[in-house]
Amino acid sequence: MIDVLLTILVFFMTITSAQVLKVDKTVQLPIAKDAQKKDNTRAEAILNVRWLLPAKKALFVFNDHPYQSAAEMVGALRIARVTGEKKITAGKNPTFRAVIRGDREVPAIYVSQAMNACAEAGITDISFSTVNKE
Amino acid sequence: MRLPLNFNEGNLGFQIAPMIDVVFVIMLFFMVMAGAVKVENELNTRLPGTAETSSPADFVDEQIITISDSGEISLNDEPFDSARSKDLPQLKGTLMRLKQNADAAKTPAVVTIISDSQTKYGRTIDVLDALAVAKIDNVTFTVAEEE
Repeated sequence: MIDVLLTILVFFMTITSAQVLKVDKTVQLPIAKDAQKKDNTRAEAILNVRWLLPAKKALFVFNDHPYQSAAEMVGALRIARVTGEKKITAGKNPTFRAVIRGDREVPAIYVSQAMNACAEAGITDISFSTVNKE
Repeated sequence: MRLPLNFNEGNLGFQIAPMIDVVFVIMLFFMVMAGAVKVENELNTRLPGTAETSSPADFVDEQIITISDSGEISLNDEPFDSARSKDLPQLKGTLMRLKQNADAAKTPAVVTIISDSQTKYGRTIDVLDALAVAKIDNVTFTVAEEE
């Protein structure tokens, strides 16, 4: 019985900790109940678009480095794309992608600016991060 | 009379019952935590680009969804659902019919979302979610130019 209990315990510990680590508390992701599960196997660049409420201003964060405007990220994104594409082997999804983790309160113009930065860096495959519930 | 304490004689070895109690409590904690965990999902899009073709390309009907700064949604200039509705049942129903028609006609269902620059990003995601329900994956997202 103790073996079974320990196995169940390990299972719950694994699923809980694995999911919690991936959620950035500074970005309140929008809710989408019908979005598909995130594919964590792909080579990707993760862009955070934070919404600074007192200043009513967006802050772009890529690789833990904050950028005041999306245009400043283009160089870093291009390097990430070149590095990422080298790692990609002929898999199911062989393209490099950008994942935009935008705050639900951020005006759409800032997300559009992040998409423009991705386009300038040569990344055309873009995913938007969401959460399944509040 | 006070009995002398001898800890060596009272050692009963490894106790399984308290261990099971502790394991139960820890398991209960993680079970509750697992239920409250937020799972990160994704909605995919692809930026438009240039494509080299050897044969003439067919132009497909493009559906345009506009989102106003107050969150009102229109499909081809026809308003759908209220600005407060997050589930967008009318839009979902119409998009599903559009997808069925496109599949029947063997043409791709192409949708462009034009959002007002000041619309909350969460509202755009509501529309993208409705498109995901209708299984429409040829989606482009753009922001209306400010005049």
